[in-house]
Amino acid sequence: MTAYFITFVIMVGVFMVGCFALKLPVGVSMMIAALCGAIEGGLGLETLRMMVEGEFGYVDTILTIGCAMIFMKVIEDSGALDALSSLIIEKFHKAPAVLLILIMLIIMFPGMITGSSTAAVLSAGSIMAPVLALMGIDAVTAGSIIAMGALLGMIAPPVNTAALIICAGIDVPYVGFEGPLALLTFPLAILFVLLLGYKQARHLDYEKLKPALVEQDAVRKQYGLKIYIPLVVLVLLMVVFKVLKLGEDIGMPLMFLLSAVTGLFTGKKINVLQAVPAAIRTAAPVMGILMGVGMFIEVMTATGVRGLVVISCLRLPKFLWLVACAVSIPLFGAVSSYGACSVLGVPFAYIYASLLGGNSVIVLAAISLIAAVGDMMPPTALAGLFAAQITDVKPYTKILKRCIVPIVILLVYACIFLQFSKKIAVLF
Amino acid sequence: MKKTYMTGIAVVLAAAIVAGLAGMNFYAKRHFVEDIKTGPNVTEVFKLSKYNENLAGTVADTDVYVLKGEKEGGSLLLLGGTHPSEPAGHMAAIVFEENVKVEQGTVYVIPNINNSAFTHNDPLDGSPQYMHFTTKNGETRTFHYGSRATNPIDQWPDPDIYTHTSGQTLSGSETRNLNRCYPGVKDGTISEQVGYAVTNMINTLEIDMEIDMHESSPEYAVNNATVAHERAMTIASEGVLDLQLEGIKMSLEPSPVSLRGLTHRELGDFTNTYALLMEVGNPVQGRLRGYTDEKLCLTGEDPCYAIAYDLKLLYVDYSAGNFPMELRVGRHLAGINAYINAFNNNSDKQIVVSGIPTYDEVVNGNLGDYLL
Repeated sequence: MTAYFITFVIMVGVFMVGCFALKLPVGVSMMIAALCGAIEGGLGLETLRMMVEGEFGYVDTILTIGCAMIFMKVIEDSGALDALSSLIIEKFHKAPAVLLILIMLIIMFPGMITGSSTAAVLSAGSIMAPVLALMGIDAVTAGSIIAMGALLGMIAPPVNTAALIICAGIDVPYVGFEGPLALLTFPLAILFVLLLGYKQARHLDYEKLKPALVEQDAVRKQYGLKIYIPLVVLVLLMVVFKVLKLGEDIGMPLMFLLSAVTGLFTGKKINVLQAVPAAIRTAAPVMGILMGVGMFIEVMTATGVRGLVVISCLRLPKFLWLVACAVSIPLFGAVSSYGACSVLGVPFAYIYASLLGGNSVIVLAAISLIAAVGDMMPPTALAGLFAAQITDVKPYTKILKRCIVPIVILLVYACIFLQFSKKIAVLF
Repeated sequence: MKKTYMTGIAVVLAAAIVAGLAGMNFYAKRHFVEDIKTGPNVTEVFKLSKYNENLAGTVADTDVYVLKGEKEGGSLLLLGGTHPSEPAGHMAAIVFEENVKVEQGTVYVIPNINNSAFTHNDPLDGSPQYMHFTTKNGETRTFHYGSRATNPIDQWPDPDIYTHTSGQTLSGSETRNLNRCYPGVKDGTISEQVGYAVTNMINTLEIDMEIDMHESSPEYAVNNATVAHERAMTIASEGVLDLQLEGIKMSLEPSPVSLRGLTHRELGDFTNTYALLMEVGNPVQGRLRGYTDEKLCLTGEDPCYAIAYDLKLLYVDYSAGNFPMELRVGRHLAGINAYINAFNNNSDKQIVVSGIPTYDEVVNGNLGDYLL
């Protein structure tokens, strides 16, 4: 175990030095940390194979992010984002609280049907960001609303990838999760959006806002309803393949690309040769982080560091398990929230659903909610980083700070479900 | 500007070298042909595509070894390698095929039922690629250590959600888990095609009993256990009692009606076979494990699991601090023997076999001693 600890210290140490002292990109720091861990851990000739293999763990996610960014750039350049923002404000400005809740549900929607906070931030989040800005909400708060909406969206029913990963780990069918997940997420969504945004949005004065909407209104008038076609296509594809399940699922990357292609003909002229590289350049750091994460986890696993982390949590006294679960899973999410589900979520699910005799559906649902917080944890912080990017907030940690109270509320709420899973299960 | 271009070229070159070297490794794994020898008592070898022509020419078209006795009798299908990251089932099938003689009835052995899953490893899992055993003759024989799931080269991309033919939804990656794809679909995904071939083979050949051999994480509740379809409960309970009398701890679990796609559920429902599945503890696939390499796979020695055992978090007896391959394969072979005996006690048809290495022989020896 001492050897594992030394490898752990080296990996974390090299990562910190790379990130903070040498100011290297996070993905590169993770790669170097993984390489050092592999060499010190004695992986020898296996090092190269394992690092490349680890990258493959996130190929699908990387594809989704790349395609989502292309879609984003197209609807931004075509004027669809501007047009939709002005439309929403015009229709709902009289009831800011209702408008905020509606915005929150829209942000959550892509996460609900893909199980990915990244998809939520990059699609609906990016569409709602200008609306929040027009409502008078500052960028940090808007980014925080989007990030928390995306976290809750990825956990809300019907699709919760985090829960699905844990289900696969302990052979629990993904059945009967809709009610518990709805109870876990929708009350929090309403609470958080009002907590974060209502103070600033309640004095929304549409007349004062009108001059700022001149450009957006002009786009709406010029292109009419056709400017919304890419958004309609995306929603339609999601509904057809994810909700109604008509035919074989074509996958989120293709859905984003098909929607983006329609956007080339429905609004302002777009230079594809400029827009696509710009989109990929924006997404590249996050894609790099995910590749680094893949290498890092694979080396952690092979060298025994993963086992050390898990067993250290389980060695805590029983009365601290709840705290360990609520702290270690989000912290491991700094590497990857899905990784946290697999590495720590599954053992904690065993403990609460099997050893302590809890209700497996409620336990898994609660742990998946805890795991979602990992998408706010630096350095990966997929939800937080992208929310910061689309609201032009720098550094991203401003959003994390603003989200601390909602995150604490979320963790306490999830822990209540975890601790009293049997009693809560009676409700369903 | 010139410096930027030079840096770019250097990065691209370095990436190409890394990709080339890793690619060679993956290519070798993908095309490695396992050293499975046809046992002296094997009467026929055919391809699984005989029962689903869509598999012909694909990597999933695996060998079926037939051991037919001189007398007519009952029939048994042994499945190894459903999850190639659980190698004891694979090795037990090979030991059976290479050593056993069937006197009466027929035994069909498929050591690599998800052959595609043998050709890669699970990303993020840090698994070894191969296992090596030394035979009595001093020859080294090499076998795959594979993945739980079909190779994405053969089946990709995964949907966000996998919807089984029953309507049950599972994590998207489970679409490549053969043991969630039964009863299968003739022209479905390659995993579903394999599932269909097995179902069709059982129905066509009217195979009386099927045993699917697995391993499970020591912290997993269904461990050192047999899971049985409700129609197979009499045979399973008799077999479990026999094993208990031999001093081999084995629990009996009913096949959950709500968990679909597994052999013990679907082969029981969609064929007339008695469907059984055996699990034995295996630290190399657990989430608590430490350093992961071939040694862990073969010995099951792990300090993290030793701590977990002291903390009473495990469902297996890990007091020895190891769970060697010999113990795991020995349990499977003893299980096969016990369930054949139980079948014979409950059926007009008989399956008579000789030459199955006993539990004590395997546990106290080397597995290589039972490889040709």
